[in-house]
Amino acid sequence: MINRREFLANSLAAAAAPARGRADACIFLWLGGGAAQIDTFDPKRRGDGKKVAGAAYGAIDTAIKNVQVCEHLKQTAPLLDRCAVIRSITHPIVSEHAAAANLVHTGRTPSGTLQYPSIGSVVSHQLGPKTEEVPNYIVMGYPNITRDPGFLGAKYGYVYLTQTEIGPNGLVRPPDVDSTRQDRRETLLAAMREGHQNRNAGDTVIQAQGDVSRQAFRLAGPRFMNVFELNRESTTLRESYGGEFGQRCLLARRLVQAGTRFVEVSFNLNFLNGSGWDTHNDGQTNQHLLIQDLDKAFATLLLDLEKQKLLDTTLVVIATEFGRPPEFDAGGGRGHQSEAFTMVLAGGGIKSGLAVGTTDDLSKKVIERPVTIPDFHATIHNALGIDPHKNLYAGDRPVPITDHGRIVQELFA
Amino acid sequence: MVRPLIASLAWSLSAAPAPSLPGGGPVQVEIFEDLAAGKEFDLAAMKSIDRYTEPAFAFIHTPTKFAANAIPLDRSTPFILKAAYQRNYTAGSYTLRLRARGAARLFVDGKLVAQTQAQKPNTSGDDPVPPAVERGNTPLRPAAYPHQDSLAPVQLSDGPHEFVLIAAIGGKGLYPSPGELAVGIRMKDQLVDQLLGPNDAPPLTDAGWEAYSLASARRHAESDKVRRRTVSHKVSALWNARHKSQPAKPAPAIPTAPDGYPVRNTIDNFINVKLAAASAKHTAALNDLEFLRRVTLDTTGLIPTPPEIAAYLKDSPKSRRANAVNRLVDNPSWADHWVSYWQDVLAENPGILKPDLNNTGPFRWWMHQSFSDNIPFDRFVAELVQQEGSATLGGPASFSQATLNDSPPAAKADIVAQAFLGQKLSCARCHDAPFHPFKQKDLFALAAMLEGKDLKLPATSTVPQGEGGRKPNVVSALKPGESIAPAWPFAKLLEHADSGTLPVAAKSATRNQLASFLISPDNDRFSQVVVNRVWKRYMGVGIVEPADDWSRGRASHPELLAYLAHEFRASGYDLKHVAKLIFASHAYQRKAAGTAADQMSSAKRLFAGPAHRNMTAEQLVDSLHLAAGKLFDCEEMNLNPAGDRSPKQFINLGKPERGWHLTALSNERDRPALALPIAQSIVDVMTNYGWRQSRQSPATERDDAPSPMQTLILANGVLGTRIARLSDDSAFTGIALGNATVDALIEQTFTRILSRKPSAAELAMYRNLLAPVFAGRFVKGAEARSTRRESDGRVSWSNHLSAEATVIRLEEERKLRFGDKPTDRLTKDFRERYEDTLWALINSPEFAMVP
Repeated sequence: MINRREFLANSLAAAAAPARGRADACIFLWLGGGAAQIDTFDPKRRGDGKKVAGAAYGAIDTAIKNVQVCEHLKQTAPLLDRCAVIRSITHPIVSEHAAAANLVHTGRTPSGTLQYPSIGSVVSHQLGPKTEEVPNYIVMGYPNITRDPGFLGAKYGYVYLTQTEIGPNGLVRPPDVDSTRQDRRETLLAAMREGHQNRNAGDTVIQAQGDVSRQAFRLAGPRFMNVFELNRESTTLRESYGGEFGQRCLLARRLVQAGTRFVEVSFNLNFLNGSGWDTHNDGQTNQHLLIQDLDKAFATLLLDLEKQKLLDTTLVVIATEFGRPPEFDAGGGRGHQSEAFTMVLAGGGIKSGLAVGTTDDLSKKVIERPVTIPDFHATIHNALGIDPHKNLYAGDRPVPITDHGRIVQELFA
Repeated sequence: MVRPLIASLAWSLSAAPAPSLPGGGPVQVEIFEDLAAGKEFDLAAMKSIDRYTEPAFAFIHTPTKFAANAIPLDRSTPFILKAAYQRNYTAGSYTLRLRARGAARLFVDGKLVAQTQAQKPNTSGDDPVPPAVERGNTPLRPAAYPHQDSLAPVQLSDGPHEFVLIAAIGGKGLYPSPGELAVGIRMKDQLVDQLLGPNDAPPLTDAGWEAYSLASARRHAESDKVRRRTVSHKVSALWNARHKSQPAKPAPAIPTAPDGYPVRNTIDNFINVKLAAASAKHTAALNDLEFLRRVTLDTTGLIPTPPEIAAYLKDSPKSRRANAVNRLVDNPSWADHWVSYWQDVLAENPGILKPDLNNTGPFRWWMHQSFSDNIPFDRFVAELVQQEGSATLGGPASFSQATLNDSPPAAKADIVAQAFLGQKLSCARCHDAPFHPFKQKDLFALAAMLEGKDLKLPATSTVPQGEGGRKPNVVSALKPGESIAPAWPFAKLLEHADSGTLPVAAKSATRNQLASFLISPDNDRFSQVVVNRVWKRYMGVGIVEPADDWSRGRASHPELLAYLAHEFRASGYDLKHVAKLIFASHAYQRKAAGTAADQMSSAKRLFAGPAHRNMTAEQLVDSLHLAAGKLFDCEEMNLNPAGDRSPKQFINLGKPERGWHLTALSNERDRPALALPIAQSIVDVMTNYGWRQSRQSPATERDDAPSPMQTLILANGVLGTRIARLSDDSAFTGIALGNATVDALIEQTFTRILSRKPSAAELAMYRNLLAPVFAGRFVKGAEARSTRRESDGRVSWSNHLSAEATVIRLEEERKLRFGDKPTDRLTKDFRERYEDTLWALINSPEFAMVP
């Protein structure tokens, strides 16, 4: 698991280490299912959807010289100079979604001795809160183990929402409780709480728990809940972002503005394409709709962050659990491929307008500059000003913050 | 939740199925196994493995197959169910309906009248969602996807007729359960089928089926219990004999109780000696209701019910506490409350969807039956370590699994050592432990004992030393690929011999030997570690801390520890005996003071009062439902209800009724179609209260410190909304509709939720709120509505990739936020005020704190 010599070598070479990035928040866009690199950010020659392997779509030029993307990324292409496209991501977990998603989120495979934290929890833990009134780590998607804080503890967990119109779970009142009724409830509760505290005046534990209960309601206060009111944004902007995924990206921008450190936005709109990005068989048929949705939302997000002067301090990540092979399966879709795929970084003060690593003529194998998941994590940490060589602690057991990951130095000055 | 248990049906041992009575009587069922492929219906020459009865032709559960020591076993793949029944009919035209998801045949008077096709295993998630069934005018329960209905019109003459059903259950790539296997019968003019069977068989409607299904689950659980206890009678006797034959050890000396400190039993002598030496005061005693609430939570995992409270208060003050303890340790929920604990310590971690995240099988089921049968704890440990029985159905073999772990036995060795010896070997998983006296070889030698043979050290479990460079901080004497032989690694630490042959031997000699070492009566460490765990559970902090890592702490009361360990061993390793001793002490019956975190140093631990504890996540959700008199009404923990995949990929953990029945919802794929919204609403509360949805590693403590999200998830989330909602199935609705005065209503509400009467100020506050609308609270002419949850049963793994499946689930999520439908029988104003009352009580910090 840990190559001590290399990691010590790394820290000895600290003098030659790249500068840190300038990000103080992260928006992590998750394309669940395994987004095909050959059909998005690493296009190659066309296949025929049947026996001839290759890209399903045409390719177009971008703002990066000699770098093309799929034709359905029309709005993103001219903005690629804000991005770093890493096309040589590689890991060994090809068959299982849960195991692969877990690896990409936590940077490790389960060991049975402790549970590793998700990148969101690590960032929340390392950067701390910007403000007390906003959750530090928010997930727009389903709660699952890959997103959990593991040994860092519940304090570094997340608030989640599955549908933007419903809002964050636990922070939104039930629909039939208006503010008058809520006031009445809180008055009754305050009396119960104070009665309990008064009957146990000398008991510091009871006093403390009562205080936690009282202060909790501030977290769901109007200032935070206003962040979720997307109708405060202009219709034009909302339309630029596009459908539900785009609205989530807009919400992510607002959350970052309000002080959230890490927002994971899941692209899991499976009513668009039932299998999401997991385009086996006829899941491939509507993949272009997903790509177009992603394109619209991502491009708008970059420009919006830029306009709000947030792009330099917000790292945007496009991540997925693995890619897909250039060959087509019997149903005209694609299987899984983890040996070579793409993830994208933008903002956060990283060097942008470049592509890192290359794959062969069908994006099947990495030819140059492989980037492992630990490397990917080290790079994200570095962009956020987190020392990628430090240890986290599970109790008093040191756990290196990544599993000997090395920063992609090209992305830093 | 305690419910009236259905009386177990007689266990039939006759050679041939007995003829039924003219108008009624049970259906005779037989199970056959190991039929040759293609000969599944060729039963003439076969002998059945199991025989039992069902009240009607509806087969949802089948009896568990037990080994001689009562651990659950797998049946063959497939196994065959044959049901036979004879009864009189009046002459007429009838239609029979054979409903099955696999191959089945129905015979009337020896003639084949209906059959269904074999089920095809599913290979993808791409099937379409089947169309919603048009119910039209019939209340018939539609065939749940993918069951087939095969209809057979028959003419029956007056007199007796014989019905025989033969069905294949499971098969390669299929789930080994009957699904909703049933036969219905209908006369021409009847609106809906009745289940084939006696006159009182239920109709094949949703309500009829759901009631039957609930009763069937209870009936089979009860019958399993009776059968396994009968079957393992001999083995129980062997364990008793083993205990009796062990030489009695001298009882530890009991110190004189110092003056001025209260004593209820021997435990207090030990505690008081240290209190007196420190001139420390003890906390005040609990009053009777506080004691009842605490001890009921500690034994059953539930708050006391009003009838329990009333019966307790009727008891004479001198004996009521002892009577309560005796009653409570024999409550069936004793088992439920212990399962939660050992799920954490033993890292039970089943995955319901293609488990690949260090998952085990569901050994919760074997644990529950073990605590339910109160088997001696040494037997529990031996059976765990022997790891035999069914891996899928949750026998001890499911403990051995750790999917995608590079060395499951090494993971289990770490668990076993922490759980039963207080030895934390975790650091030795990858290198020699830097702060503990263990080498990596020790852990792997223990692992090899668990595995039953030599183990090769995986490269992924090492820290490469590298050539040149600085010397790393952690080293290992072992090299990747090196072979390690089974060996007991604690010979120096524990110095006792193994305890010879076990009453039941596993196939693996080294597993037997490991068990023999662990449970040796000379293994003082084992007895002490276990009683320390029990002590910690009830007193909030252990005599030794950390309870799973004894090299890092020392006993605050070593003589007390020795005394409890002696009592435990002398009782035949009976947890109930130790529990009763603790509950009977004055030390337990005092007000809590301080937290466990304050008392980690042994010098600081005086047990002047137990440490403050909050309800566990399971106690919280179970008690909330109990207070409201509501069922979880949760989805089945099953992402493949169609049953068309192997149990290696999908398992069915059943319909949860207690917190421990839940598990991680495994939606790493983030697909709305895989969501289980009600389960999620319960999991949301539990995860905020320290419950781990994924137990990849062992834990003795939970991460459950009070937090804003704990408060908010209960205050705003779906679960809290459902509990406070005055729906027609809420006990509070019943109270509100009763003829109590407003004061009586408030008092009953406090009793149900907080196990006490309201203070004068509280009574006044709620009276103020409710009295103005109390008299006029009834809505004339309104009726109770059905509280049955409409759920779309069409979504399963095989079709979850369709957009329609996504839409169905997202809509369910949205609807759920409104909570259960409120009763029509109370005015809106009264209902909202009373719901706000309930909300305030369940959200008060007092509710979740153990008194």
